[in-house]
Amino acid sequence: MLTELWEKRSLVVLLAITDVKLRYRNSVLGFFWSFLEPLLMLSVLYFIFSLVFKSAIENYPLYLLLGLILWFMFVRSTSAGLSSLVNRADIILHVYVRRELIVISSCLAAFIMMSFEFIVFAIFLIGLQFIPPITVLILPLIVINLLFFSIGISLLLGVLNVYYRDIQFIWQVAIQAGFFLSPILYTIDMIPEKFHWILMINPLVPMIESAHNVVLYQTLPSLESSLIMISSTISVLIIGLLVFKKKNLRLVERL
Amino acid sequence: MMINEQKIIEFQNVTKKFRIIKEQKDSIFDLVRLFFKKNKHDTITVLDNISFNVQQGEMLGILGLNGSGKTTLLKIISKIIPPDSGNVTTKGNIIPFLALGAGFNGELTAYDNIILYGVILGFSKKEIKKRVQKIIKFAELEDFLYVKLKNFSSGMYTRLAFSTAVEVNPDILLIDEMLSVGDIGFRKKSFETFMKFKSNGKTIVYVTHDLEQINQFCDKALWLDKGKIKMYGEPLEITKEYKNQNTPLR
Repeated sequence: MLTELWEKRSLVVLLAITDVKLRYRNSVLGFFWSFLEPLLMLSVLYFIFSLVFKSAIENYPLYLLLGLILWFMFVRSTSAGLSSLVNRADIILHVYVRRELIVISSCLAAFIMMSFEFIVFAIFLIGLQFIPPITVLILPLIVINLLFFSIGISLLLGVLNVYYRDIQFIWQVAIQAGFFLSPILYTIDMIPEKFHWILMINPLVPMIESAHNVVLYQTLPSLESSLIMISSTISVLIIGLLVFKKKNLRLVERL
Repeated sequence: MMINEQKIIEFQNVTKKFRIIKEQKDSIFDLVRLFFKKNKHDTITVLDNISFNVQQGEMLGILGLNGSGKTTLLKIISKIIPPDSGNVTTKGNIIPFLALGAGFNGELTAYDNIILYGVILGFSKKEIKKRVQKIIKFAELEDFLYVKLKNFSSGMYTRLAFSTAVEVNPDILLIDEMLSVGDIGFRKKSFETFMKFKSNGKTIVYVTHDLEQINQFCDKALWLDKGKIKMYGEPLEITKEYKNQNTPLR
């Protein structure tokens, strides 16, 4: 699987780049949409939570933007991954390509868009004259972990969506809930202790929290949360690949 | 038997069944609603215990009525559909000429589509970029290289796809009755291309209803009937028998 992935890397990358290209194809603002989208979202949320609710989080715009960028990455990659097999049915039905690669390329496309958004983040850092601490060097590891986690989820949802087409609607709802169950608008400390378990069942919580910590607060992720992040990613990947392998057999008949 | 003759496609007892599901659980909602009901389905056996092999450089013609399993056979050779049981081994890379232009996108230019399709068919980006000029010339579409594909006619579309696909230089070609590519001129050109592949020692599996072509070009013929091999061997004998049985009664 891994060797095949490496051999076919130009296919995976090209499909991803094509996705990104097509996403902005007909808009006047084109490529700049990728910057504007998080900015608009940020302004709305910042206005509500900073000025109306008077949130007291340190460096709140940066906190909010970083969480949003990671959250968008997860949402875009899993939504695209979920529908990728159905959308690319013409390839699957007529040429042999390892189907996992199609799902992975959708996640990679979201990853590429995320990289653009980090440029916006860098501009904010300069604008607010905030110099991130040395712990920021850990951020790429967290982000890559998030990519693999998204790939695992996408493999699972993507192949199941071919069989059960309403998974996409269920996933939409799950994502809505997930947004509020992740520390994007608030910090975990603001939540009463007795509700912490709700956040603990969301595997994205340690990833987003650690990203905040390394970029803004010079705090390395604890051993515990590192282990949770890595093990949740590995288990999601394994489950995703196993289900994918099993459901691959009759995939063509159901497309 | 020559020593250097080797089996390039080998089918051993291959069976493929399709499920015709009556009460299909195709949503999570149904899955919950029908949780205690067994998934009811009929199966049709599309290919039933098929065994044959194709030697390197051979051209095999496949004939049979509609629904006899010809296309499924090609799809199994190309790994698009996995068989339910039995073994399939193939050597070398395969280009299926089943439906051309898989992955073509109307919003992209011809240039981008050539690159994308080439990479899907197994080229690296670098290799396909080197061949773009040759491909567009073969397709006779030099003036349209940077035109979006949605503005192409269907003939132009197929020509572009065909020209890209033949650049791959495959070891095995699977052709599903597709000599109806473009106008007469291009049709002739595409047929000549296939013949060039044949004289270069490529292996070809050719599905067609044209008995003349099978007699003329194929080394072996295989007659599929309701998923079973009815006859396999010399093209002349098989086409003769096929003609006898499928001539409508007066």
